[in-house]
Amino acid sequence: MGSITLSKVVKRFGEAEVIPPLDLGIRDGEFVVFVGPSGCGKSTLLRMIAGLEDLTEGNIEIGGRDVSHLAPGDRGLAMVFQSYALYPHMTVRENMLFPLEMAKVDARTARDKVARAAEVLNLSAYLERKPGQLSGGQRQRVAIGRAIVREPSAFLFDEPLSNLDAALRVNMRLEIAELHETLGSTMIYVTHDQVEAMTMADRIVVLQAGRIEQVGTPLELYEQPRNEFVAGFIGSPRMNFIRGAEAERLGAPTIGIRPEHIRASRESGLWGGRVSVSEHLGSDTYLHVDTDVGPVNVRTAGEFGVHRGDTVWLNPDENAIHRFDAQGLAL
Amino acid sequence: MRDTSTAFRVKKALGYAMMLAFLGFSLLPVVWVVLLSLRPATALFEPIWESPAAWTLDNIRSIARSDFPAALLNSFITAGSSTLLALLVGVPGAFALSKRRASNKFFASWLLLLLRMAPPVGFVIPLFLVYVRAGLIDTYAGLIFAYTSLTLPFVVWSMWTSFNQIPDELVEAGLMDGASLGRVLWRIVIPAARPGLVAAGVLSFLLAWNDFFFSLIITRSDTTTAPVAVMNFVSYASVDWGAIAVASIALTLPIVPIIVLANKYIVQSLGGAVKG
Repeated sequence: MGSITLSKVVKRFGEAEVIPPLDLGIRDGEFVVFVGPSGCGKSTLLRMIAGLEDLTEGNIEIGGRDVSHLAPGDRGLAMVFQSYALYPHMTVRENMLFPLEMAKVDARTARDKVARAAEVLNLSAYLERKPGQLSGGQRQRVAIGRAIVREPSAFLFDEPLSNLDAALRVNMRLEIAELHETLGSTMIYVTHDQVEAMTMADRIVVLQAGRIEQVGTPLELYEQPRNEFVAGFIGSPRMNFIRGAEAERLGAPTIGIRPEHIRASRESGLWGGRVSVSEHLGSDTYLHVDTDVGPVNVRTAGEFGVHRGDTVWLNPDENAIHRFDAQGLAL
Repeated sequence: MRDTSTAFRVKKALGYAMMLAFLGFSLLPVVWVVLLSLRPATALFEPIWESPAAWTLDNIRSIARSDFPAALLNSFITAGSSTLLALLVGVPGAFALSKRRASNKFFASWLLLLLRMAPPVGFVIPLFLVYVRAGLIDTYAGLIFAYTSLTLPFVVWSMWTSFNQIPDELVEAGLMDGASLGRVLWRIVIPAARPGLVAAGVLSFLLAWNDFFFSLIITRSDTTTAPVAVMNFVSYASVDWGAIAVASIALTLPIVPIIVLANKYIVQSLGGAVKG
């Protein structure tokens, strides 16, 4: 019912091709995250699915039905926007009733649906308030509530947590994940935050310049990135890339090694270097080390007592080394 | 921390004094006209600060018997209708200009500005010639269309600005919720842009209400508006200053409640605030 298929979808703004021909299949009930740097076309792609952007070419099917030329409201989707997009002159209740009123749902059923959604989202106490009287997190919940009451075949989220502070973002992330578990609906979620992508997604679609670089589960992308871009984008802190003689010695024009796959030692190791920055978080220590093979970031579990200027030795885990050819593709 | 220094107090007092002086200067003609309207014809040219031998309501009675009340009604009908017409056409137009992705917006804005800035005398002669052929001289329709040429560019221009302050996402949310563009405009965008709408309506009404030139050229007797009717009190033999004073008050009075009621919105709109 909520499966979404994009076939040879293209988007051009005048001469500029923002989305080159693209194919993608999303299964019913799947939580898919579009991730990529700013301007990679992830929001445009989402808006094309929503019907807010016209397709230049190709077609989109939702639940087996071609919706390519249907109005946004006729596609059976609901969208949650980055700015919440709540109607400022309506109360929370009226905001949530609006889509039902547009769908000509009878007043009683509509009232019940709103009451149920408000209960699920802890909004029952705020139904008579205007959006201006709510906190950021509450507003985002209302936006989600407005989406839920429609019982859409799929939910579209366009960077919904970007306007929230860090602590609230973590909470809302959990709430959205729980909502997905409860409703079992298809969800497409756009973000530039790869931590959100890794924690929430069943599958991640990594985009760059409108092209799909890789589609896979979070762990697939982490463990088997198809190219340097995906390898660098997924994982925090970012993967270290080493080129030149040292890379050749290890068997490729470029090698990649994640900071957590390097063991730091004060005594001995493969690469020696001087600590330029050390960040002590208690649970982890992040070291930025200038070595003979270039700058290398290291993440060690727990406290590692070195400071700026100290000499350390680094030992990469041979089994965790990623190898890339001259074009940046994984070997 | 509150500044309580002497220098600050002097500055504040000076500020108030300047405001009061300006207020007095602005209100003086109004007070003068009120005093004038209550004087008998024989006392009109005595110094205004001296109380006349007797106050009178003769001027008001003579106005009531004249054609002026009918002209006032004409003003209401034509200014009101042209404002409604301008809002009816201009608001959707401004919405399209604000929210549609179009490459010729610059041209549209330029054209609108030209219409707003061009002096009415620029199009009143061709308008007159067309009206003579179309039989629109001295008709409500003729005057309403003429006023709409003033009010429509104004409404489009000001509502375009108001709508620009409404996030596109609000429109998109409405579309996603299953509303048509017309519904989105009516149910979401217009309520959110209410201050701008009220301001545009009131100011365009005043634009038409205060017009003298179009009415002078286009009307004859049936549809003469109040500002032109005031001139009827000026004849070759005499000028009925008392009646003119009453007519001026009659022209101003209806505007006062409108301005008072809409003041908040006009200030908000001119300040560029659309509150969420």
